[in-house]
Amino acid sequence: MTVSSLSRSGVNQSAILLDRIRKGIFYAILIFWTVLSVAPLYFTLVFSLKPIADAYTPPIWWPTPFTLANYETILKTFDLFPRWVINSVNISIIVTLFRVLFCAMAGYAFARIEFPLKKLLFNLLLISMMMPGVVTLIPSFLIIGPGLIRGGISLGSLTIPTGFNLIDTPWGVILPGVADAFGVFMMTQFYKSFPKELEEAAMMDGSGRWGTFFRIVLPISQTQLLTLALLTFQGAWNNFMWPLLVLRSPENFTLPIGLQWFRGEYYTLYSVVLAGSLFNTLPILIIFFVFQRYFIRSIASTGSKEG
Amino acid sequence: MAVSISRRKISEAINGYLFVSPWLIIFTIFSIVSLLYAVYLSFTSYNLLKPPQWWGLDGYRRVFDDDLFLTKALPNTFKYVIIVVPLQTILSLVLAFAMDQKLRFRRLFRTVFYLPSVTSSVVISLIFIWIFAPQGIFNQITRLSINWLDDPRTAFYVIMGMNIFTTSGTLMLIFLAGLQDISPSIYEAAQIDGANAVQTFFYITIPMLRPVIFFVVTVGVIGCFQVFDQIFVMTAGGPLDSTTTITYLIYKWAFRDTTIKMGQASALAVVLTLIILAVTVLQRRMIEGSGSMAER
Amino acid sequence: MKSLFKLMSVLLAVTMLLTACGTPATPEKVVETIKETVTVKETQIVEVPAQQTVVRLSGWASSPSETALLQSLLYQFSVENPDILVKYEPITGDYKQALLTSIASGTEPDIYYVDIFWWLELATNDVLLPLDDLMSASGVKREDFIPSLVDAFTYNDKLYGIAKDFNTLGMFYNKDLFDKAGLDYPTDDWTWDDLKAAAAQLTDTSDANKPVYGFCTPPDPGRFPAFVFQNGGSVMTDDFSDTTLDSDAAIGAAEFYTSFRAEGSGALPSDLGEGWQGTLFGKGQCAMVYEGGWLIPYLRDQFPGTKYGVVMPPAGPAGEGNLIFTVAWGISANTKNPDAAWRVVNFLTSEASQKTVLESGFALPSRQSLQDSDYLKNNANSAAIFNGSFNGAHPFFWGSVGSDVNDQMGKALERIFKENQPVADAMKQAAEAVRSAMK
Repeated sequence: MTVSSLSRSGVNQSAILLDRIRKGIFYAILIFWTVLSVAPLYFTLVFSLKPIADAYTPPIWWPTPFTLANYETILKTFDLFPRWVINSVNISIIVTLFRVLFCAMAGYAFARIEFPLKKLLFNLLLISMMMPGVVTLIPSFLIIGPGLIRGGISLGSLTIPTGFNLIDTPWGVILPGVADAFGVFMMTQFYKSFPKELEEAAMMDGSGRWGTFFRIVLPISQTQLLTLALLTFQGAWNNFMWPLLVLRSPENFTLPIGLQWFRGEYYTLYSVVLAGSLFNTLPILIIFFVFQRYFIRSIASTGSKEG
Repeated sequence: MAVSISRRKISEAINGYLFVSPWLIIFTIFSIVSLLYAVYLSFTSYNLLKPPQWWGLDGYRRVFDDDLFLTKALPNTFKYVIIVVPLQTILSLVLAFAMDQKLRFRRLFRTVFYLPSVTSSVVISLIFIWIFAPQGIFNQITRLSINWLDDPRTAFYVIMGMNIFTTSGTLMLIFLAGLQDISPSIYEAAQIDGANAVQTFFYITIPMLRPVIFFVVTVGVIGCFQVFDQIFVMTAGGPLDSTTTITYLIYKWAFRDTTIKMGQASALAVVLTLIILAVTVLQRRMIEGSGSMAER
Repeated sequence: MKSLFKLMSVLLAVTMLLTACGTPATPEKVVETIKETVTVKETQIVEVPAQQTVVRLSGWASSPSETALLQSLLYQFSVENPDILVKYEPITGDYKQALLTSIASGTEPDIYYVDIFWWLELATNDVLLPLDDLMSASGVKREDFIPSLVDAFTYNDKLYGIAKDFNTLGMFYNKDLFDKAGLDYPTDDWTWDDLKAAAAQLTDTSDANKPVYGFCTPPDPGRFPAFVFQNGGSVMTDDFSDTTLDSDAAIGAAEFYTSFRAEGSGALPSDLGEGWQGTLFGKGQCAMVYEGGWLIPYLRDQFPGTKYGVVMPPAGPAGEGNLIFTVAWGISANTKNPDAAWRVVNFLTSEASQKTVLESGFALPSRQSLQDSDYLKNNANSAAIFNGSFNGAHPFFWGSVGSDVNDQMGKALERIFKENQPVADAMKQAAEAVRSAMK
């Protein structure tokens, strides 16, 4: 399957035509998917700007009758709203920073460095992803809270706690979040498909593993790191089940938990829920727009990295 | 000579562990210990209110005696994986590949494609309930009058469609990052050799992407076998159990039923883990030939 | 409107009290009195003892306005009892899962909501504190509360929870549709025959886009059992050791319940393109529905123009039958401060607090004495649902396999409605499935 086995043919007019057709097909695919992708959020926006009683009423393309009442409801009902936003931002940023660094380091080691028990550890990592979270919830909660063995392990007069006692603190959400199997798996696979030449050159120059990693590997894997950062931030921001269990006081809530208030037991006020979900989505969209520039830049840097 | 090699090996091993350790320590404390504890619970009878009682294989016996598991959850889960994984993988690869062409408005497309993925699964599920409600937007546009989520014939497919729709953005990003690893000089060489676009895609892009494809498919298989949030929010396993999957059944036993069966739920979780493991190994063999999972 | 604003300002103040930060800037009278309290708390000069007992209290957050109501009551409590600090810890997601997780780890709140549907599981595992001693010590009698609500939370002669509020099923009827059909409005004395006859006369499917059905019959385990009770049957045996869903009375009730749709005078919400019959009632497509008090604020918000009334469900061959949905305040058996926790519960279920609850219009109080209150006299709709608890009402509780019983009732009805399974077969199949779940 090497390149040389492919048949040779000259570049001619028909190739240019073919190229046009090819581009046309690609554009068609992209535009079709664009319409599909925008539709749900567009409708969400439209109906979040309509009164509650019009949650299913046409017109569906334009918010008439128009109202901002749903957004006002969200902002005014809970004076803790700004706190929830700040909590969410803090937790998501800290989780993202640590997780990206830790996952990149571990992923690099799994991809490039030989060390004992590597295969076993990597297989454990994969298996841990396969165990459904519903049943690991209780033990994880015990560890972050009072401990698997209540009261700790006693060794004579010394008591070793088996839990972190971090319930109702942001750290109870952050700590388990910084080590993630998915991220390590992803970075490992990325680094495996990375060209080795640059690293080898750096190693020859005498920079050790650490120097090579921080000076060469991290900078050239910018795209991958940003991808992981974005996915991590998004995951941390939207995380629901774990913060719900760990955070108890309303002033410690994150945004998704606070917004859940608007889902009633017997019926749901859809217009408000839609407005709330846009509130929840907006920060990630902004971050994605900011990231965009770096994506473009890193494409350029990928081009030049072969030197 | 031999001494210096082994010394280098040792220093590599130390380096390896230093690189892994920040992640490994936290991972061990939370994931590995939790995993082992869940395995322990699978051999107990545990209602969350009293300490777990050892009951050996009873939990597993009950799992394989359970009608809902055998006739609904198990087949539903496989159906879900078999339909969703290939579709979302191919779709996201095609989207990423289209995006990687030197087309105009790339930036705009990329942002837009990511839109379905940014919202949490809980929120997007709520939006989909609303869109697919009998009076909802979908019926209004298509002029149909189907109660999508209340009909055993359609509910599961709506959830599948939603999952493909929402995950393809994320997977596309991952593919895109992988595609950008492929050095332009390889493409240039192929072009000089006269390879056409289709040939380039199958003989260069796909092989170069193998680690990333393995990642996407593995994550996809794991995610689909564990599909839960969407079902929890949208249908709660109904109508007439048509959307009950293994993970939903685990949740039902672990928290929803009046009498809590955490031990039995954990046993089913272990069974599910073994199923996923088997499928992953099999799928790895298919993608990359034989060898253990860690090799590539 | 004004009272809601007052409620909100109180909520604002309470949050500040709880978080003890910031100064309210609003020159509103209510807020000002609270400002003093905040100062008291911050500087600790008067009233507040050096050591406050902290009591943690948890419940689900069903809606912002109900949360505000609870917080205003808690605020009232903190003013009257400065030695106790109540920490409110609402659970906005899956309540049962979050609660069970905290119980499993021994970190549960001192006071929490217990639902009638699963409370017994907690009581039999000694997770809940029996309240009888605490009650008698503070002079609270069982007779102060509605008897069926006391029975609902009694196990082995001990009371494990005080109902914070409750709902029964009422028959909501659309006055405009009754007028149009030239029928008299229903009364509390109606029987199954009246219901059947009216449903047929109210049905009008001439407008294909907006057909009107007399009576809506969702395949809902929260509605159907009322008919079983009205037919002299039951869902479970008295000791919950077996199901009676395949008894003649239950089968007869299922035949009656499903006959409306079969005869064209009834419909399922999904037939009419809705998930919930409350919406259809608001739209005027279901002339009569069995729903609880939660429909009242929904209609007020979403369909303010609807003219409707509520009566108790019509009696069946065996008389009145109804369901009680209720949630109680329970105290954790683990609590370090049972007395303080009891004082909070006692306050929240006191006549004064219950009156506030009633007047807010969100829920019905568990105090028997409020039967004669002005509010219920002036609000016949709420009174019908309140009085339902005295007439053949059974708790919405089916023992240790309750969730299976509910699932199976729903599925049996769906099979009858959608797959035309014979009624007796469907009920027998449901009963067998429940029995196998009991093993």
